Amino acid sequence: MSAVAERANDRLAMPLPATIAEAIALEMERDDTILCLGEDIGRAGGVFGTTTGLQERFGSARVVDTPIAEMGFAGMGVGLAQAGMRPLVEIMFVDFIGVCLEQVYNAAAKIPYMSGGRQRMPMVFKTAGGCIGSAAQHSQCLWGLFAHLPGMKVVAPCNPHDHKGLMAAALRSDDPVVFIEHKALLLRKGRDFRHHPDVPDGAYTLPLGEAAVVREGSDVTLATLSASVEHALAAAEELAGEGVSVEVIDLRSVVPLDADTVAASAGRTGRLLVVDEDYLSFGLSAELSLRVIDRLGLSGLRQVERLALPDVPIPAALSLEKAVVPGPELIADRLRQMAKGV
Amino acid sequence: MTDAATARARFRRMAAMRAFDEACLEALRRKAIHGELHVGLGQEAIGAGMAESLRPEDAVVSTHRNHFHGLAKGVDRRALLAEICEREAGLCRGRGGHMHPFDPATNFSATGIVGASIPVALGYAHAFRLRGEAAVAVGVTGDGGSHTGGFHEALVMAGAANLPMVVLVENNALAISVQFDDVSPTETVSERAAAYSALGLHVDGTDVDAVAETFARAMDHARSGGGPVIVEATCHRFRGHFEGDPEGYRSKEERQRVRDNFDPLRLYRHRLAAAGVGEAEADAILAEEKSAMKALLAEVLEMPLPDPAGAMLYRFVEEARA
Repeated sequence: MSAVAERANDRLAMPLPATIAEAIALEMERDDTILCLGEDIGRAGGVFGTTTGLQERFGSARVVDTPIAEMGFAGMGVGLAQAGMRPLVEIMFVDFIGVCLEQVYNAAAKIPYMSGGRQRMPMVFKTAGGCIGSAAQHSQCLWGLFAHLPGMKVVAPCNPHDHKGLMAAALRSDDPVVFIEHKALLLRKGRDFRHHPDVPDGAYTLPLGEAAVVREGSDVTLATLSASVEHALAAAEELAGEGVSVEVIDLRSVVPLDADTVAASAGRTGRLLVVDEDYLSFGLSAELSLRVIDRLGLSGLRQVERLALPDVPIPAALSLEKAVVPGPELIADRLRQMAKGV
Repeated sequence: MTDAATARARFRRMAAMRAFDEACLEALRRKAIHGELHVGLGQEAIGAGMAESLRPEDAVVSTHRNHFHGLAKGVDRRALLAEICEREAGLCRGRGGHMHPFDPATNFSATGIVGASIPVALGYAHAFRLRGEAAVAVGVTGDGGSHTGGFHEALVMAGAANLPMVVLVENNALAISVQFDDVSPTETVSERAAAYSALGLHVDGTDVDAVAETFARAMDHARSGGGPVIVEATCHRFRGHFEGDPEGYRSKEERQRVRDNFDPLRLYRHRLAAAGVGEAEADAILAEEKSAMKALLAEVLEMPLPDPAGAMLYRFVEEARA
């Protein structure tokens, strides 16, 4: 095997968290104002391993193991940013945001505006969301919550390539960015991904707010993000066997929301399905649907459907969880219903 | 004993702060402020006392009642008053208003959320330590804020890491209506310092000399690597929690008693006299500061309000550049 092929093979064997840790390390190396705060991120390297090796390399003052005091260290991040640093604050599970949302939405997100643009807030809130069977308090996505509150960019990548590039972009951004990983993806290795498992070695950034068409199709446009992209690709594959061609779009971020890319696709297919692992009501699926309708006009689409977590706490039992969290089967079923009109 | 020059300077600072908030009350009467206003009248000795030992590189993170702390930190009073009066030329272009002044040039900021200032001060303290700077982060809160979780969390971290942070608690004994004695598990806030391996200091916040001395001691302690300090300054709020507060929680007589007995400017008159500064000179200082603020207010009220077309600007950096 050539050296290049061997390296690519190593990449495919790499767990996603190692790629994220690599992205952070590359940025910390090029910018010594970056530092990380959070629970278990130092000595343990993060509960999912996304900060593995960082404390050894950059020391305990730049990779800070905090006590379980989210309000304290989230606000500490705000103060660090005001003092000219670029903090990455890890909230272990996004569900824990309830204990420190104050510093996220009232401070970090609003201070740039409240200061008339005079106070920058270069800050990343890195957190893990998504369902892996841990029930109501450890399974939410909540990107819709952050997106509803003005002043934060909200990113949720779906593959190793994007995790690395979007993390670098988040750390270089002068705006607060909420970076939401999906726990199910964090348990995977590069080769487990259907899309873009390839990761360049050096540092690179991806623009915040650009969706990607990850599978081309002509009958239905399916827009989603995070782990649901993987589910959508599996469902699209299945539907292809049944003669239905599904275009899958990875939104990559909720703020900014790239409705233009979705509208361009839906304008062609005439059918839009928004899949969202976050709650249904007052969330991404309605917002994106309306923004697409705004662009295409009320007569621009034949069908608009939403498949999202219904407004219910996520249940513990697998049978119940499968009934409410959009997985490949639920997505394929909904696509099949929509395709009846094709 | 305080020498004449120091006494004069301290009295002038208090006079300037009082005149500033009186100008804010006038601005409110003239409808130049359309929202909530929290003035610090009665608490001038704390702002004036802290000013002396704050250095430009230090940071202050203040509260909803922040004007005196901003002036103490060196925030330009014209820009601050213009911000309070919602003008485009204000410190924050009229986007922040009186509860949310941000001045990166002087490391001054505030929050309208009670207790939320202390974690932010912790961040400054960590940055100073990391960069090897001899600066101190001051987080200001009140007796109400001292009961919040964030206050506790930030002090846990500051104490464990021995960070250069001073927590200034302005204890006016009223969290809007709730009395400190009714809700505090301890007689003072400063005695809680022991729980965080911090130094706890208690001072009469109506005595500018005592505040100056105690705050200087706190800053020296934090600056020289001694770790965090809680400075509790007891004081009295002369007016309601906000302008318009019906103050159903205290009688008119009680309010008058507080004003008669705990006015830091009036209390300082005997120190001025002892230092050789006469009544006439003190009156002249008050009149000068009052007239300077009157002129400044007139100037500010001539300034334009922000253009409605800019209401969406400054959420993100690209909008700030636009």
